[in-house]
Amino acid sequence: MARRRVQSKGEKLETNMSAMIDIVFQLLIFFMITLQISEPEGDFNINMPAQGKPTNPEDVPPFPDIKVKLQANPDGTLAGLFFGSRNLGIGPAAFEQLNIEILKVIGRPGDPITKEMSVEIDADYNLHFSNVINAVGACTGRVDKRSGNIVKYIEKIKFKPPTPPGGGA
Amino acid sequence: MAKRDRTSSGAPDCEVDMTPMIDIVFQLIAFFAVITNFEETQADERVKLPRDTLAKPPEVKVEHQLVLNVGFFRDMEGEKTDAQPWLFNFVDGEPVLPLSAGRQLTREANLFSAKGVDVKEVTVKVRADAEVQTGIVQELIKLCQDAGFETFAMSAMSGQEE
Repeated sequence: MARRRVQSKGEKLETNMSAMIDIVFQLLIFFMITLQISEPEGDFNINMPAQGKPTNPEDVPPFPDIKVKLQANPDGTLAGLFFGSRNLGIGPAAFEQLNIEILKVIGRPGDPITKEMSVEIDADYNLHFSNVINAVGACTGRVDKRSGNIVKYIEKIKFKPPTPPGGGA
Repeated sequence: MAKRDRTSSGAPDCEVDMTPMIDIVFQLIAFFAVITNFEETQADERVKLPRDTLAKPPEVKVEHQLVLNVGFFRDMEGEKTDAQPWLFNFVDGEPVLPLSAGRQLTREANLFSAKGVDVKEVTVKVRADAEVQTGIVQELIKLCQDAGFETFAMSAMSGQEE
């Protein structure tokens, strides 16, 4: 039987902490090693049913697709961004202009009619993918500078089937 | 405060108060445990994602997803060592040519079906490198469509283009 002494005598109860500290340090080292510092990633959602199998064949789109064409140089960089037949140029200014043009087409962001609208992106086969993402971003909306929220423009994005190199323009 | 006493043998007995250290260590563990993200293991760091201001992390967690990392072999400086893009971290961890992944994609679709998940509800997250040819990404999406997938998400880094 354990002998108990009166507390008032000032005896201190000691616990062996070394085992716990060992485990705690092991955990700390594990978390430090497995930590991956990565930048936040976002996604652009695109609904693309297989061609020839429309989701609802009776649905006739009320608006024709807004055509956005991206032409590439042989090295894959952007040679020209076209909204319909109009060349908006290259670089960030072109994508900003595309954003403005899309806003002109939809009129008011958030209007239910924008749900019926869609953009068809026609990109050259060898174009760097970053340009397509920028075009998708410019069509999808913009970030409101005051609130930081996303103002959505058109969410339906389609892609024109790719034309492999040598398979025609 | 450290307390000094003498044991029966006469040697000084040093006692250190461990409480503040344990407090700090537990704080650190809690911090690392919270910020560690074990779910992003499917992402491959060789893929240099494009940037866009509109790319915001999803507010609703996707229930079923298949991640496709399309990127290049790069050296320490981040320069491409091979002009051919590869599908990384996909099946068995071995790089696969994107356009020859049709059979594996069908196998993935069958695996989802075997688990009772409708393939149409599975989001294919395309993590394509900024410099990958668009046509290759589109052909990969076409292979996914042939396998039965319908919902796609294209990943980008949040923030302004440098």
